[in-house]
Amino acid sequence: MKDSIRKAHLASVTDRFVRGQMDRRSFLRAASILGLGAGALGMGLGRRPFYGISQASAQEQELKPSAEITKWLSDVGKPFAGTTLRLATESTPPSNAIATQLKQYFEEATGIKVEIEVLPLEQVLQKLTLDVASSLGTYDLYYIDQSWAASFSQDVFDPREQLKNADLAMPNYNIDDFLKPLVDGIAMYEDRMVGVPYDIPIFIMQYRKDVWDELKLPPPATLDDLLKASAAITDAKGPNMYGTSGQMKSGHYSLECDWTAWLWGHGGSIFGPDGKFTGNDEAGLAAMAYWDKLKATMPPGVDGWTWDGEGQSVGQGVAASMLSWGEFFPFFDDPKASKVSGLMEAMVPPKPAATLRTVEQTGFGEIPGVGHQGGSSLAVSKYSKSPDAAWIFMQWATSADTQALITVLGGGTGPTRTSVYDDPRVLANARVGAGTTRHLPVVRDTIANYMGSEPDLPAWAELSSDMIPVALGKYFAGQSGSAKESLDALKTQVDDLVAKG
Amino acid sequence: MRVAQARRFVVSDHPLPWLLPLVAILLVFTVYPLIYNIWLSFHEFVPRRRALEFVGTENWVQLWNDTRFWQSLVITFTYFAIALVFELVLGMAIALLLDSDGFGFGFLRGVLTMTLVIPPAIVGMMYLLMEDPQFGVISYLLQSIGLLNPNNPILATASTALAGVLVAEIWQWTPFMVLIFLAGLRALPPEPYEAAMIDGASSFQIFRRITLPMMSKVIAIAVLVRGIDLFRVFDYVFVMTSGGPGASTYSLSLYAWQQTFSFVKWGYGATLSLVTLVIILVIANLFIRIAKVRW
Repeated sequence: MKDSIRKAHLASVTDRFVRGQMDRRSFLRAASILGLGAGALGMGLGRRPFYGISQASAQEQELKPSAEITKWLSDVGKPFAGTTLRLATESTPPSNAIATQLKQYFEEATGIKVEIEVLPLEQVLQKLTLDVASSLGTYDLYYIDQSWAASFSQDVFDPREQLKNADLAMPNYNIDDFLKPLVDGIAMYEDRMVGVPYDIPIFIMQYRKDVWDELKLPPPATLDDLLKASAAITDAKGPNMYGTSGQMKSGHYSLECDWTAWLWGHGGSIFGPDGKFTGNDEAGLAAMAYWDKLKATMPPGVDGWTWDGEGQSVGQGVAASMLSWGEFFPFFDDPKASKVSGLMEAMVPPKPAATLRTVEQTGFGEIPGVGHQGGSSLAVSKYSKSPDAAWIFMQWATSADTQALITVLGGGTGPTRTSVYDDPRVLANARVGAGTTRHLPVVRDTIANYMGSEPDLPAWAELSSDMIPVALGKYFAGQSGSAKESLDALKTQVDDLVAKG
Repeated sequence: MRVAQARRFVVSDHPLPWLLPLVAILLVFTVYPLIYNIWLSFHEFVPRRRALEFVGTENWVQLWNDTRFWQSLVITFTYFAIALVFELVLGMAIALLLDSDGFGFGFLRGVLTMTLVIPPAIVGMMYLLMEDPQFGVISYLLQSIGLLNPNNPILATASTALAGVLVAEIWQWTPFMVLIFLAGLRALPPEPYEAAMIDGASSFQIFRRITLPMMSKVIAIAVLVRGIDLFRVFDYVFVMTSGGPGASTYSLSLYAWQQTFSFVKWGYGATLSLVTLVIILVIANLFIRIAKVRW
């Protein structure tokens, strides 16, 4: 087909879809044939930038839920036909894949309608907070960021308890298949399981192998390697290219994420076992000294970037590496979106500069590790008017089969189940190109061996999204004196807030 | 009141029947929220118990000791003062230039109104891109003439971030001032000008002795309307800097929003909003008295 004719057809079907003259399924099928990725539907929906649907993979494979799962849904869902379930979620790979491509299969099999609201993360928190404060049950399913686990732990069903209802239990759901470090890091608060792991962005090392080879640099296996290589690249190629990048926007959660990686990597921790702030101790100051040197090798705009700007800086060839979210990797491999397709290499995070603290040496369940983990859980609200129907949906959405489909459709997100990493559909996508999964072995290894996880306490949402990143932002803006003065002031603020509970 | 009396009342010239719906709407949507806000400022939401608890004057005491609050107050006043001065001076200058019926001036006046129909958040995003250190046109131009160090991006440097935000604010709202001043200028009587010109007064003398005094009420109204808006600045700082770097662009409204919605401190957020309201009321009333604004 000539390109001009293809584009004319594409414009025509898009026009019909927008005018409501064509259902979504037909549009997706037509658009897929004409070469338009379904990711276009999700454009601009959320703040996490690179969560499109993998056009290449969606076209190459027949991606549908297994017949066995569909039959179970059909059997168990019948009594709930006509029910409407609601979920408020951030724009994440699982939610986007389910909302745009997969939920139709669930709805057809069960007769249960699913409404998914995709919102910026802070708005999800507002909606959930209002929902629990009023106990209205507006949302049947809660998308719970790992930093809110403590806050919502009493407002959701523990999935281990729900599984005891044999009538509604999905055959072979296998809760033990979820990666244990994720269960501990994302879903557990004290003795309660706050949903099941649903989404796992995690820091991995991503670097331009061509640049490293050209300058004969050793792969960034240690933090010291990373610093030396970054400085060498900036010296050799700046100001056209810088050695590494960051997400250092003052006052933004992303800055706190970067900080923890360096802090943990220098043997420090946010809290001590007594629940007091320890980010200002010797290890904390060493981390800041390292960070200052590393920042000098980053592009000038780094103080204004969240993960979006950081990813773009690497994707557009401005920076040669980043220790950041692995979800960017499939975007880097997409030749239509980035200038570095096929040039990037993924590896586990650099080795720490000092021995990591143990969980016992930290506070509030903090797990030190250079591979900073984000992530969220999915749970059924205790205030839901249809908890059983919501539980059926939750099992389907987090089952191994659906998770595999999400991984392939969702642009290379890290699966939360062990079995999904070995799924043939996922392995088949491990090649250079859009939506690649070739970085997933590194993600798996990082989760198992190098993962760092933030503490769980009710005040953590405020600490991680405001107090800490504002204090760090002031430091880098030169508003608060030396690193020691800044962190000492931060300690006073943090300890006061934690003491208030 | 009997039916016949009520009917007479409704068809009479008395304005009350026609005002009652509006009064009811104001009570429901303005007075009730204000009273609830005051009540809320003496309470705090406790997430653990999912309940509002009475905390007495704790929120007000916290406000007094909150360095972030005082910092955001200073920033808001700075923002307010700088933006108002620029918008006033530029607005008046442009209005004087556009006060003509010559060919093309009508078109120019139309073009000026275009900025007003763009949502402030979108303007914030435009300027965010234009001030980007890598590809922003403003950064590029300033770097080209040596006014900006490439290593100090406008919005990520404490000393320039507020100026970066103010540029967007001034760009969008100066035309609003222009429109108000133009309307005022066009309504001025011609006789004093004719007399002044016959007496040989210079342009500056005419402006200072005739135009400015006669425009004073219009200027006062413009200052009042824009001043109230400026004190509530939220969109630009939210989109362009999120209050950073550090807390160098944190406005009072942004701080109140953050406490209320991000950290679920409804009581403290209500206290911050009330303080903002009180400050605006006090300043506006003082200004109305000093400038002798009459409604």
